[in-house]
Amino acid sequence: MKPLRSFVMAGLLAAAVGGMATGGNAGPTVGDCQECHGDKTIEMTMPDGTVRSLFVDGKAYRSSTHGKAACTACHVDAEAPHGKLSPVSCGRCHTEAAKSYAQSTHGIARAKGNRDVPGCGDCHGKHDIRKVQDPMARTFRLNIVGVCLECHEDRVIEERYDLPDEKMMAAYRDSVHGMASRKSGLLGSAVCTDCHGNHLILPGDQPRSATHRQHIPSLCGKCHSGILEKYERSVHGKGMRAGIAESPVCTDCHGEHTITKISDPASSVYVKNVPRTCSACHDKEAISSRYALPKKRFSSYMDSFHGIALEYGMTKAANCASCHAFHDILPASDPASPVNKANLPRTCGKCHPNAGENFAKGMIHVEVSPEKAMGVFAVRVFYTIFIGTLVTLFVLHVAMDLLGRRRRGKAKAGKTEG
Amino acid sequence: MGEEPRSPVTVERMSVLFRVQHILLMVSLLVLAVTGFALMFHDNWLAAAVIRLEGGVLYRGIIHRSAAVFLMAQLVYHAFYMLCSREGKRELREVWLTRRDFDDFFLAMRFNLGMDSKYPRFGRYGYKEKFQYWGATTGVFLISVTGIILWAETFSMRYLPKVVLDLTLIVHGYQGLLAFVILLFWHLYIVHLHPSVFPMNRAWLTGRVDAEWLRQEHPAEYEKLKGEGVI
Repeated sequence: MKPLRSFVMAGLLAAAVGGMATGGNAGPTVGDCQECHGDKTIEMTMPDGTVRSLFVDGKAYRSSTHGKAACTACHVDAEAPHGKLSPVSCGRCHTEAAKSYAQSTHGIARAKGNRDVPGCGDCHGKHDIRKVQDPMARTFRLNIVGVCLECHEDRVIEERYDLPDEKMMAAYRDSVHGMASRKSGLLGSAVCTDCHGNHLILPGDQPRSATHRQHIPSLCGKCHSGILEKYERSVHGKGMRAGIAESPVCTDCHGEHTITKISDPASSVYVKNVPRTCSACHDKEAISSRYALPKKRFSSYMDSFHGIALEYGMTKAANCASCHAFHDILPASDPASPVNKANLPRTCGKCHPNAGENFAKGMIHVEVSPEKAMGVFAVRVFYTIFIGTLVTLFVLHVAMDLLGRRRRGKAKAGKTEG
Repeated sequence: MGEEPRSPVTVERMSVLFRVQHILLMVSLLVLAVTGFALMFHDNWLAAAVIRLEGGVLYRGIIHRSAAVFLMAQLVYHAFYMLCSREGKRELREVWLTRRDFDDFFLAMRFNLGMDSKYPRFGRYGYKEKFQYWGATTGVFLISVTGIILWAETFSMRYLPKVVLDLTLIVHGYQGLLAFVILLFWHLYIVHLHPSVFPMNRAWLTGRVDAEWLRQEHPAEYEKLKGEGVI
């Protein structure tokens, strides 16, 4: 049955091709269209006065992924010659993509008649369309950033739709992901669509968006899966899963478009910047109070020798992450936490081999208050009062001494006279 | 003060050895203060500038500890000198705190306030010099001990709980501040700003003071030297 059917089909096809070649009524061939559209000077004046070229590069078309098809496969109502054609509908074949696109922020705006947002052709190309795997395709991994930035680096568009400015977009180019794809041509590096999605692209504040907060860990985890596993175990990961809005996700510490290698001094998780990054939450009164966390995390650390050393560029000094760990961070009350009392000798011992159990008896970077660190508090108060009193007494003594000197001078003067 | 004719008669007040010790002490204390306070008050621009000038926090530490070793060596040398040498023993006797110094202090205060008609007659060292000497010595000793504990941190951590190290750090810093305050308010006054020596008592350079000054400020010493026939 099957061979017979294909034989019949092939026959019909041959007849059709033959018919077209002899100028039958089966529609124009690519060659027919190219007779007019192959002319580089062919153009049309639009109702608004702009002039539009109607030239179609036949060579580019033939090497495109649709190059074997007739023009009428897309331009269904095209005849030669013809007037205004109906718009091309890619969704006739690419139904899934069209469905996703219709729900995206681009698709919704376009359905309302907005021509600023990209349609299929603006990203994929039109007559020169190529498969995403083709390095010459506009949508090839290494070309995508340029395609998105055609609009997203356009200040007019950014202002019109209140989009993040071009600096944020440009930051991606210098990010670790941007550099990897731009400089090394690393195909595994994240490009726009890896995080934001492609057809179903939505703003990050919409729960369905791929870049919505609650999807961030699994989104980054698509590539960084080992880290995701650690994060899921951490207090931050568990908090996030429990729906605690303040619980940080990847981007809160690492940044998003600006993400750089941790060895880059500009990185928010570069050793020197770690304390400030953690303190963005842990030095906030509201967060400490709400989750009963210890306070003064930043100042108590920055006043410690570790903090001072780090501030002045001694990068081997311990920062938050050195002791508390980072992706798999746990509260000190958890026996698995490196800052749990039982684990302190080992944790401190990473740098101070002699820090034994005895050493771990003290509290580390606590706020100096009577409840938290009575001894230190008392000694400090004592010295402050002592030095203050002493200075006062010194000044008093100097004043009295000068007063007495005048008296002595007078007495002596009196003596010599008498 | 300038036009007052100076008495040509001078007496030795600081021997060469003491002058050298004094200059070395001054240098090391200054270095320690600059490097130490930059760390203690690290979060202002001046400290930041000083630390950068010292070549960062690592070199700051090396400079600080080098000066500290130097100072402690001086402390040890000074202790031996005061206890063992002839000149040192004599000086130690002179500077030793006695009941009389406290009496002198209170007498001076009473006189200054006009409550007494007699002013104490100081010997070679009055209460001002003695208080300063013992205050500074105690301070340097305390700073040295706490400093060593902090320096030998790998050793300290084995035997001392963290809280003790925290306290040590506080004592070290504030004791330094205390020493600085003594220098600023006490020493600066008695050897620079005091009207009898303004702008400076030159003894730390020349070793000598005017006999007339001695007669006015340290009459007991003046008479003793006169009795010995030095003047």
